[in-house]
Amino acid sequence: MTRRRLALVGAVLLVAACVERLTAPGHCPDYCPSGQITIVDTLLTTSINRDSSHRGYVVSYQSPVMLAAFLPDTTATLDGRPIFRFNGFGPRLPVSSVDTGQIRGADSARLQLYIVRRDTATHNLRLQFYRLPTTIDTTTTFDSVAAAFNNAPVRPTVYVDTLLAQPGGKDPVTGDSVVVDTVNHRWLLSLKFDAAAARYDGTSDSGAVAYGIRIAADSHASIALGKGTFGPVLQWYLLVDSLTMTVARTPGALGARFASFVFNPPPAPLDSNPVTGGTFPYSTLAVGGVPSARSLLRVAFPKFIRDSSQVIRGTLILVPAVPARGAPADSFVIEARTVFADFGGKSPIDPRLGDTTVIHPDSTGTVKIEVTNLLQLWAADSTHPTVLVLRAQAEAQFLGEIRFYPSVAAAFRPTLQVTFVRPFPFGVP
Amino acid sequence: MTQADRRTGGRAAGTAVLAAMLLIAMPPDRLTAQDSQFGIRGLGTPGRWESVRSRSTGGAFGPFDPLSPLMEAPLADIGQLTATAAGGTSHRDVLVGGTTMALRTTRFPLMGVAGPVAPRLAVAAGFTTYLDKSWDVTLRDSFLLRGVLQRYTDEITSDGSVADVRLAAASRLSRRIAIGAAVHVLAGSTRMTAERRFDDSTFHPVQQSADVRYDGFGVSGSVLIGLAPGLSIAGWARSDNRLRAKVADTTSAVTDLPLMAGGGLLIVPSPSARFAAAAAWRSWSKAGAGAFDTWTWSAGAEFGSRRMPIRLGARGGQVPFGPGPKAPTEVAGSLGTGRAFAQGRAFVDLGLERLERRGGGLTERVWTVLVGLTVRP
Repeated sequence: MTRRRLALVGAVLLVAACVERLTAPGHCPDYCPSGQITIVDTLLTTSINRDSSHRGYVVSYQSPVMLAAFLPDTTATLDGRPIFRFNGFGPRLPVSSVDTGQIRGADSARLQLYIVRRDTATHNLRLQFYRLPTTIDTTTTFDSVAAAFNNAPVRPTVYVDTLLAQPGGKDPVTGDSVVVDTVNHRWLLSLKFDAAAARYDGTSDSGAVAYGIRIAADSHASIALGKGTFGPVLQWYLLVDSLTMTVARTPGALGARFASFVFNPPPAPLDSNPVTGGTFPYSTLAVGGVPSARSLLRVAFPKFIRDSSQVIRGTLILVPAVPARGAPADSFVIEARTVFADFGGKSPIDPRLGDTTVIHPDSTGTVKIEVTNLLQLWAADSTHPTVLVLRAQAEAQFLGEIRFYPSVAAAFRPTLQVTFVRPFPFGVP
Repeated sequence: MTQADRRTGGRAAGTAVLAAMLLIAMPPDRLTAQDSQFGIRGLGTPGRWESVRSRSTGGAFGPFDPLSPLMEAPLADIGQLTATAAGGTSHRDVLVGGTTMALRTTRFPLMGVAGPVAPRLAVAAGFTTYLDKSWDVTLRDSFLLRGVLQRYTDEITSDGSVADVRLAAASRLSRRIAIGAAVHVLAGSTRMTAERRFDDSTFHPVQQSADVRYDGFGVSGSVLIGLAPGLSIAGWARSDNRLRAKVADTTSAVTDLPLMAGGGLLIVPSPSARFAAAAAWRSWSKAGAGAFDTWTWSAGAEFGSRRMPIRLGARGGQVPFGPGPKAPTEVAGSLGTGRAFAQGRAFVDLGLERLERRGGGLTERVWTVLVGLTVRP
């Protein structure tokens, strides 16, 4: 019995003796390890080569928002106009469980729009609605609908600020209203279209209607309207023939079957000279814009960093060739990612890791993107292509675009600044 | 089982539990732990090849103690199969640069089994600590990086040790002379980490780690001579070749290990009083810069019956690693006792040591509580 107890106590002692907690301030160099952590910071000025730009990844009709802007400028006014179309119910509508009746026209309609992004500095925001041809589609351009926008608006201008100032956000005269979603930072506009503004032609157009919007403001006129779940919704209030009697019918609300936006001026071609009047013998690295542009940077990642060290910071340094384009208030985010395989412009992007920076329109300052985790990925996986892709984080959701000097511009080429740690001399007394 | 046996067993268990409490009674947060800071820049902190009984006498009884792995010759008198183990907890105050740190370490430095295999031959096997290599150093500093003064905290740790695995044999050649020899395999590993955390989180933390494996080989020999009844002398020598450090199968360092030699004197004037003294020399300077040859001495006494003796001792000498041109020094005093149980088949030894090391602007003061368990089945 005693032996068993002693054995048990011995086992307890063994366990207790293995428990350790260690730490103590070092007094160097006398009472510190001889080996030290060695940090190296290096600028890789020639490691980025064979860079290129490609455009067309996300076009305006694929964007989850409709961009509206009107920003006068001495050289080129930025003008963005949402366009959308609702398909109709055709020429007839059910008037009972067994009969249908000819749609004689619309008494009125109510259009709902979400403003999903706006500049808080915008004052006296105004919206004007224009009737567009129902033939608008993905090929519609700014010029192709310019004539329609020159016609008179279909309804009085919507003064959003005035509407917001009304009790409950409702205008008892026009029947318009606005609801502010302070949680999601959205405004829901509910606008009444009278019979003249909401013409229902069930015979020739099958009841389809298309509208375009121009905006204006005292300053910073740039907003984004929602699409899809937060897209335009049209509620018709129709007049239907029923045994020679005209009856009112309210069919279900319709979502827009097509929603997009057109804008002017279009982005300059990628191989164009972006410096007006200058001598610029090469294409730049474009990022952002609509249709969205991406740039590929191929990096010769040094073997001495990849194989035997730990990257603790990597910074991609880019010099803008021209001031960033876009609405002044619409700063946009660009991101650097790497790819699964290098197929040029069609390289599949690795979605796991990404690094971002904010671009402010009209800025010309050097852009720095911290790409530490991407370089660490390359160091950990030697089979991973060492290619960086630069793109807008929200492609085609901002008109902004930035262009950087490419690697052939020796004085301003993209560079990588890498801070890494040499292997610690473990085991050396 | 008689009532006396039950009482004895109960006391044994109670004493063992007390010993366990002494080992594990450590404040959970206030104290932190590591081995001597003198060993951080060197190979480590050399272990003490002594049982709790020997260490309670300052190490003076080490050359004459069959359960201390210092010498092999005393094994010749072991008489029966014996197993022993020891543990110790050290509470250390380190004074350096005007600041005091409280550190703690718990070690399990000795385990062995020995016994006769022939009328004149005994063997032993076991391990002891050759070098303790556990430490954890934190450092605040700054340096210019990317044109900005970056402040950072370094933490470099080593957790592990090098063990001395010994296979020894001893023989009594005559009534006066016993000899012994042993081979020593040095083996062990440390888990080392180096971390740096910048105050500026833009710089990712540095985290590197490696398992460092160590190996080496040594031989030793010893002789024990009875000059007269109650008077014995002992001598020993040992040579280890080198300590090789390997990281991922690549040799990162090879360090020469010292030659060692020592001797001792034992006087037993009566059955209840035993006195001993010992000295040793070690050529640690072979280990490279910052290492010094060392002399150590010890003297001690044991009073009373072997069932429950009182032990006293003192020791001093030099520490092999330290900054500056001179070896740091150390001096210690110790006391202890022991208790035999189960008709002398089990022993619990308790010891308490107060140690002070000085050198290179650093002073260490250490209290160490020692517990040893010995079983003779």
